[in-house]
Amino acid sequence: MNIDIKHIAKLSRLRIDDSELAGYEKEMNDIIAMVESMPDIKDELTVDPQNVMALRPDEEIGEKIPRDEILKNAPKVVAGCVVVPKTVD
Amino acid sequence: MMIKGYEVVVGLEVHAELNTKTKIYCSCKNSFGLEVNTQVCPICLGMPGTLPTLNEKVVEYAIKMGHALNCSINRICKQDRKNYFYPDLPKSYQISQADIPLCQNGYLDVIMDEGEVKRIGIERIHIEEDAGKLLHSDKFDGSLVDFNRCGVPLIEIVSKPDMRGSDEAKAYLETVRSILKYIDISDCKMQEGSIRCDVNVSVHKPGEPFGTRCEMKNVNSFSAAVRGIDYEANRQIEVLEAGGTVVQETRRWDDQKGVSVSMRTKEDAQDYRYFPEPDLLTIVVPQEKVDELKRTLPELPNAKIMRYVKDYGISHYDAAMIVDVVEKSAFFEKCLEAGCKSPKILSNWILGEISKFMNEGAAIEDTKLTPEKMAELIGLIDGGKISTAAAKTVFDIIVKEDRDINEIIEEKGLAQVSDESALEKIADEVLAANEKSVSDYLGGKTNALGYLVGQCMKASKGKANPGAMKEIILKKIGG
Amino acid sequence: MKLYEYNAFELSEMIKSKKISSKELTESVLERKDEVDGKVEAYLNFDREGALAAAERADRLISAGGVKSRLAGIPIGIKDNISTAGIATTCASKMLENYVPVFNATVIDKLSAAGCVISGKLNMDEFAMGSSTENSYFKTTKNPFDLSCVPGGSSGGSAAAVSCGEAVIALGSDTGGSIRQPASLCGVVGLKPTYGSVSRYGLVAFASSLDQIGPIGRCVKDVALLQDEIQGHDKMDATSADRSYASLYDNLSEDISGLKIGIPSEYYGKGVKPEVAEAVTSAVKELEKRGAKAVPISLPSTEYALSAYYIIACAEASSNLARFDGVKYGYRAKDCDGLIDMYERTRSEGFGREVKRRIMLGTFVLSSGYFDAYYKKAKLLQKRIAKEFEDAFKTVDVIVTPTSPSEAFKIGERISDPLAMYAADICTVTVNIAGLPALSIPCGYSSSGLPYGMQIIGRKFDEQTVLNLALAHENAFGGFRRPKL
Repeated sequence: MNIDIKHIAKLSRLRIDDSELAGYEKEMNDIIAMVESMPDIKDELTVDPQNVMALRPDEEIGEKIPRDEILKNAPKVVAGCVVVPKTVD
Repeated sequence: MMIKGYEVVVGLEVHAELNTKTKIYCSCKNSFGLEVNTQVCPICLGMPGTLPTLNEKVVEYAIKMGHALNCSINRICKQDRKNYFYPDLPKSYQISQADIPLCQNGYLDVIMDEGEVKRIGIERIHIEEDAGKLLHSDKFDGSLVDFNRCGVPLIEIVSKPDMRGSDEAKAYLETVRSILKYIDISDCKMQEGSIRCDVNVSVHKPGEPFGTRCEMKNVNSFSAAVRGIDYEANRQIEVLEAGGTVVQETRRWDDQKGVSVSMRTKEDAQDYRYFPEPDLLTIVVPQEKVDELKRTLPELPNAKIMRYVKDYGISHYDAAMIVDVVEKSAFFEKCLEAGCKSPKILSNWILGEISKFMNEGAAIEDTKLTPEKMAELIGLIDGGKISTAAAKTVFDIIVKEDRDINEIIEEKGLAQVSDESALEKIADEVLAANEKSVSDYLGGKTNALGYLVGQCMKASKGKANPGAMKEIILKKIGG
Repeated sequence: MKLYEYNAFELSEMIKSKKISSKELTESVLERKDEVDGKVEAYLNFDREGALAAAERADRLISAGGVKSRLAGIPIGIKDNISTAGIATTCASKMLENYVPVFNATVIDKLSAAGCVISGKLNMDEFAMGSSTENSYFKTTKNPFDLSCVPGGSSGGSAAAVSCGEAVIALGSDTGGSIRQPASLCGVVGLKPTYGSVSRYGLVAFASSLDQIGPIGRCVKDVALLQDEIQGHDKMDATSADRSYASLYDNLSEDISGLKIGIPSEYYGKGVKPEVAEAVTSAVKELEKRGAKAVPISLPSTEYALSAYYIIACAEASSNLARFDGVKYGYRAKDCDGLIDMYERTRSEGFGREVKRRIMLGTFVLSSGYFDAYYKKAKLLQKRIAKEFEDAFKTVDVIVTPTSPSEAFKIGERISDPLAMYAADICTVTVNIAGLPALSIPCGYSSSGLPYGMQIIGRKFDEQTVLNLALAHENAFGGFRRPKL
């Protein structure tokens, strides 16, 4: 199994320099070689009806955190909005 | 719909924002148009360590829609993560549903303009969260992110590729919107983006397999959907006619320019790496709840239209117009309950005078008009007690004031004259003054009769009963 | 004896009877921190003023009779992946170097309400990924028993701080052994509670389906005390179990007569150092003298557990850590040329190597065409492993294994060999995969004086039996042995 590190890095939004490529490739291939020893199991993934979740009532609760406070960790804020490089899809 | 010998095949994915009180995974208020980044909390901002909890109403609303679209309900299902990076998606994944949607395998009967019924298959309905919004300005070198919309609950309704042109797509979209409003789970405000759609279009020669399809994003109105489908179908036909092949791709509809532009082809399609959402466990809706939601579903718009046509004898077109607005059909039915015996006249009034003030932005409940008064007024018209013109005068008053109708009629002298001797007197005077018209009529010019009736009406200052007047004139001139 | 050297359950009595104040105790812990943290480097962020203020507040509340909790006034160290409002929560990553949360984790709210004193935030492997605390962006914590050795990980700071007295008790988190393995290497007691018994709200997620917050202390009673305080249903965590929880501390009993201890052969052979296996075996013999009965059992899928674990954990991590994109909080690369450049540089500069590797591994196993071969297979194995435990617990009450296959290893020894590092988790990952409770407790020492740990695994939500057996062992084996610093 040879993993296309460049493609996986792109999907992960990581930039791997060419100098690091070989190192990652070896480590990842070692790990993949290990996990490939897993046996085949003839079964399908199913939802477990016993593992039920309680749903939340549709009610507004909790104190509101002011905008300045909640955005205080943002790297860049203008006019109450978080700023990112120009993005048009 | 055939274009140049090709059949057009359309499938639609409709995203509708649900009008729950709170967001889908946190208890932030679900509302539109508030100041940027004020309807957010650590959870919908995806702050490290926060966890989602699923709003029970979202599940209920989606099941209601499932019932309305004749789906089977997967009362045991789960949620999955759809992974992609975008600045308006704080967690960099959207919680959605992949292989087990809440509802699937349904259908919707849409009624086309000619009254013919077309059945459109429904692939699935699933629940998911909305993303935020990016704001741009030419003056600003960057984009601004408003997260208020993050976590607003959505249902995605995916149709089968069962529509054969933009006319059917339009009818489908309008019916879906109408149902959403009738079961009261979405505000359906296109301009607020509360209902949006992605369009899949392909073309093929009849008898041949389906063509390669293209998906069109950014379709922001139903009329844009029609324009987009027509454009895209023609584009694909041109490609085929020129000997080319249609490439499977995602395109972006630019409604202002009226063109679609390629966004990405199948080769560089996004890899969303779906996997089960580990922060949420299994959704299990009790069968009794599923059944109850079905039982409590209101009469759906299409059924209403058919019933109005069948039971009340009003035209399909008029019935559809009334049903199109929940408030109008509700008022229509309340007037009938209040004793109105003439649904046909009532429907004309709802589509006429009542629609007029509603179009100006007023709601019926904001006026003094009650179903009882309306029923009384229609009764007076039907019984020939007042003329339509007089009724309009009364209507204008009872919309604004809470007054007794008979009192108004008396005060304004609006009662219609049906008394034979009074009408005969008027007829005698008019016939004497219009000998020419009488001889014209007797000479075969039948429209002279209308003129004579009109003159009588004028002489009576509009109070004469036109039907009775006509009878008297005919009797007198022996026609 | 200095105050910081006492156990929490003893200090609790002393505070309650007004022999000491929380402030005096907190000052003692502060002093100890000043004394040894230069060598051990367990803390990332020590909030001296905040801790003293909290201690004074606790004293006022206690004298007013306002707090009932046994942990009132007790200083507690918190692993730095647990969200603390107003106190930086870095996950030992450059990515969150300046991140100050606006909300508390549920466990922090519970501890605050109990009148606990948060002494500070403890070092860890970046985003809890690692078994040595060497993956911290800021510093490498040392093992108090041998400063040239690792304390284990990822909760290395928590285990080391408790071991050397810089914290009376601490919270860690455990995804594949991150509480038990460092507890084992630092000679303390650490409990990974049943999945769902402690709220994860506010725990920065590594692998959501495996993560669990748990207590670390120097004795079984302290661990029971802290677990009592943090367990319970939380509406903010949909995976939290809605059930009632009895006090573990009040129900502690060292009566283990008739208790059946399962000994799975797979945990005593290949990959486990014979000395460690022998230490556990002889501890079990002691427990048999006290009325327990050892029963050989088999958990045949154990050999695949590490593979299944890394696939599931990395898959979830690749998604959980996608939110660190430079947009809303945390590190953002400077002078970016467009959105993609910002994403890629922010994440490449902000994450360390181990984190990047795990993100890529997780992305790979979920990517188009590989899902069935890896993720699906791992999930099916998870089901099988859980079933094997379930079947085993039909015949035994607890299962005992080594915690770590070896004593603490040297700093730098395994850092460049991921598979050697991952091997440190072979005895612990199965427990997370099956969602069971398990505790590590010292059961022996190497010739150079480094602790060995014994792992006691219980049935779901049966922390009580696990703690009872641990208490019996503690009494038989002797309590905490203080490292010489």
